Amino acid sequence: MQSGPDSSAYLKWGFVGPALALLVTLNLFPLFFNIYLSFTNSDLSGGVVEGVGVANYTTLFTESRYSDAITTTALFVVCSVSVELLLGFLLALALRDRMPGKPVVLTLLLIPMMLCPVVMSLFWNLILNGQYGALNQLLGSLGLAEPGWLTDDHLKLVSILMVDIWMWTPFMMLISLAGLNAIPKYIYEAAEIDRASRWRVFRTITLPMCTPLLGLAVLLRVTDALKQFDLVMAITGPNDMTTQTLSARVYQVVFRDYKVGLGAAYGVVILVAVIAVATLFVRYIERLQRQQGRA
Amino acid sequence: MDGVTQSALVKFLRALVLVPYFLLAAFPLLWLGLTSIKSYEDTISTTVKFLPSAEVAATSSVRFQPSLQAYRSLAQPVAGTPNNFYHYLSNSVIVGAVSTVLAVVLGTLCAYGFSRFRIPGARDWLFFILSTRFLPPLAVVVPVLMMYRSMRLENTHLGLVLLYTSFNLSLSVWLMKGFIDDIPRAFEEAAWVDGYSRFQTFWKVILPQAATGMAVTGVFCLIAAWNEFGFAMTLNNYEAKTVPVYFAGLQGNIKGVPWPQIGAGMMLFVAPIVLFTVLVRRHLLRGVTFGTIKQ
Amino acid sequence: MTLRGIFKFSGLALFAALGFSVLGCKSNSESPPAAGAAQPAVKAPPAKSTLTIWWAQWAPADGLQELAREFDPNVQVVVQQIPWPSFQDQVFQEFGKSKTAFDVVVGDSQWLGRGATRGLYVDLTSWLPTAVDLNTLHPLAKKYLSEYPTSSGKYFAAPCETDAMGFAYRKDWFADPKERAAFQAQYHTELAAPETWDDLRKIAEFFTRPADKRYGVALITGRGYDDIVMGFEQILYAFGGSWGDPQTRQVRGKLDSAEAVRGLDFMKELLKSSPPGGTKLGFGEAVEPFVNGSTAMLMNYFAFFPDLSNKMRAKVAFAVMPKQGERRFASLGGQGFSISTKTAPQQQELAKRFIAWFLKSDTQKKWVTKPGGFTANQEILKSAEFSQASPYNAAFAASMDHLQDFWNVPSYNELIATTVQKLGEAVDGKKSSKEALTTLALEHEKILLAK
Repeated sequence: MQSGPDSSAYLKWGFVGPALALLVTLNLFPLFFNIYLSFTNSDLSGGVVEGVGVANYTTLFTESRYSDAITTTALFVVCSVSVELLLGFLLALALRDRMPGKPVVLTLLLIPMMLCPVVMSLFWNLILNGQYGALNQLLGSLGLAEPGWLTDDHLKLVSILMVDIWMWTPFMMLISLAGLNAIPKYIYEAAEIDRASRWRVFRTITLPMCTPLLGLAVLLRVTDALKQFDLVMAITGPNDMTTQTLSARVYQVVFRDYKVGLGAAYGVVILVAVIAVATLFVRYIERLQRQQGRA
Repeated sequence: MDGVTQSALVKFLRALVLVPYFLLAAFPLLWLGLTSIKSYEDTISTTVKFLPSAEVAATSSVRFQPSLQAYRSLAQPVAGTPNNFYHYLSNSVIVGAVSTVLAVVLGTLCAYGFSRFRIPGARDWLFFILSTRFLPPLAVVVPVLMMYRSMRLENTHLGLVLLYTSFNLSLSVWLMKGFIDDIPRAFEEAAWVDGYSRFQTFWKVILPQAATGMAVTGVFCLIAAWNEFGFAMTLNNYEAKTVPVYFAGLQGNIKGVPWPQIGAGMMLFVAPIVLFTVLVRRHLLRGVTFGTIKQ
Repeated sequence: MTLRGIFKFSGLALFAALGFSVLGCKSNSESPPAAGAAQPAVKAPPAKSTLTIWWAQWAPADGLQELAREFDPNVQVVVQQIPWPSFQDQVFQEFGKSKTAFDVVVGDSQWLGRGATRGLYVDLTSWLPTAVDLNTLHPLAKKYLSEYPTSSGKYFAAPCETDAMGFAYRKDWFADPKERAAFQAQYHTELAAPETWDDLRKIAEFFTRPADKRYGVALITGRGYDDIVMGFEQILYAFGGSWGDPQTRQVRGKLDSAEAVRGLDFMKELLKSSPPGGTKLGFGEAVEPFVNGSTAMLMNYFAFFPDLSNKMRAKVAFAVMPKQGERRFASLGGQGFSISTKTAPQQQELAKRFIAWFLKSDTQKKWVTKPGGFTANQEILKSAEFSQASPYNAAFAASMDHLQDFWNVPSYNELIATTVQKLGEAVDGKKSSKEALTTLALEHEKILLAK
């Protein structure tokens, strides 16, 4: 591997160095700076910065809005990822076999996940509007109830979930499809010879063989959903109690209340959660790679 | 299922899943298109307007008279905004293009380094690079802001370019490493025999082989930069405002949200992404899973 | 693995962190003169200088830009417009720099305390009375848009856009003989622009016919920034409640009083006559159900009315906020000019010259002809010429004696944020008015009395 002309240390660090330097400056350094800020009274508009010990953390842990934000974020992550997984897997099952026009349908279905979340959710406001929105007018004309998607306390989070599910179900579908396609045909043929029932085939072959990839998909989505900010900003705004995710709470604290120190403490809390999931994720990928290597 | 003959029931079930989902998923995009050819009054009409028709229709009719007025008006600033849509689009293009080129170049160099040299702690570095992707913008935005403040980088194209490059590096390095790992070493060895230096080999042998991979990586980086909102909003007020921030800022406009212009602008903003999605459809899976799944 | 990786590089990063913070401190302590390069104005060439003003993104800012061309041929005035949703965070973020990109900010009245106490706004106390005839300013506009602490005679701003909330209503519906007869039969009184909140409620109920997609009234109930706070404020005060005592900062017994609870209950009742989605309408959104012809009355700031009048012409008329008993209040809107302390002295002088020019009666006469340009100039407000210049001017002039504003203390935004949340819970039906206001009053006192 190390053969070839000129494998000096300068050269190899010359290749990997610039990228690593940029990542350390713009990712790692801010992280530690953030930890430092969380122990100060730093204000968005400047002024004297003084250490305040753990005061920000005591404020944070006693704030009811902190636990509310954690609950909202957790609820959002669990609901969005599980619905997307179920729906995506179902779609993948339906799209698995050869059928006319499949590539076109597949590509069209994948488009939403490539679009800009904040711009699309801004547009969803028009569809979900309680009075002139297309959705309620459709429901009304069918004689159904016209719920206040953007105003009803119980529905605001549901609306945000709907948009998220619209955007990210294709992602689950794509990965599920890869999992399904990777199952060798002969296994099914063997099952057919054994006259196994469809359900049994699904339970004992299809599902277990897809699980590793589905796990990867879930982890990727969870880390993404934990950051949820764009949709909340565009649909209900950062100060709505029922939809205030951790990221939205940070925005509110830092950019509206100007309390950079407290906001940094919130950032640290999010980070701990994200590192936990990311570590899981990395372990998972390592295992996958080892398996692939063996195969 | 594969191997099992398709009964009518299976076909029916499949249609039952696919058809409604497809309609629901495509609807917002269809509605976006319709909105862009309506007048302002038609977009907020209490009778939903979905049938384009040549003659002027009553307010209580579902017909509306289509026009390209919204597209034409993109060249004029919306009431209260200092610049027209194309100004913000050009910001998006500049920031997106430059950061993409940087991310792909740095990422390719870095990936080559990790692929062909023995670098101490390579696994740790690689996973560090991957983990930067999980960082929520809101957890680091404050330190980045403070850093940018002292370096006078906020509110500049360069500031965003550096940030977008750094958050795309994780994707770029991992994807490119996958692509470069696939290039047989024999090619390089042959070049060395011919007396090529390490860098010449990289330039003349590896790069042409990795071109497709770089293009695919570029598309994914561009899309991520194009769609980003959190950093773009908090680090900019007017100079380098990108399209997502511009649209989000139109909420609360004094003349009401200019829906037709937003629709028209979104169509133009989203069109390249749709095109790119179609172009890289074969590599989508690889792209969204950081190269961990190779099809 | 990642964790190990992260720890491994932490030493490196900490080293970098130290380096950066040293750099940061340095540039903060000694930068003002060095920053000149970024801003041509600081060089103050005799030929042409630039004055940069930041304001929110809306029509009045276009008007100011237009008017400012007449200021001084040697001074280029640039009005930079920031979108409403991020206006305040962008401004206060900018103040964090050693030098702000703007010389003047046209800031919300609630920001005064923060700007004054943190040394962000230039103290205008000794200058303003010498440069501007304060008697020309309406006393309430002067009080709320320029003084901190309120009524202290200390000035940190000067009125730019003076605004108030009012009502727009469907003149054609109100004039329709059939509607008038039906209203007369039902309520035994004539259908006319509402004089009291009770009248308004009757009219709103009367026009609410969901089967015909018609509704009574659109109120300001949005949760984006201070929308619902301003929407409720005028009802709260009309019913006899208040935000609290400005001097002692006592909130309990005022914001959670029986009168305040009655006010909030009234608002909730009124919202039953609002269009679908009426419990969460921001300033911009509230215009939509009115413009699409489904709603009889609209509460909003006068700055929104010129455009409304253009769109709806003869179909719309305007009225002052109703009263309850003898109590009539209109929530204050608009912003004042404040000068940044983080800008060069000659820029501050230039800014003062501009403000003094803007507040001259002659300039104000031109200002009121710009779309959305509303003045605090008493002489103009009282003149018949102004009242007749537009369908909404008379109602605007009549609103000026009834202005009321929210807290403008440094922690104003936390106060706004909790108010939005608690009023929101009441309006959404999650809590009773009494519960919501009781917890709100407690939270307000906690925020106000914190050091």
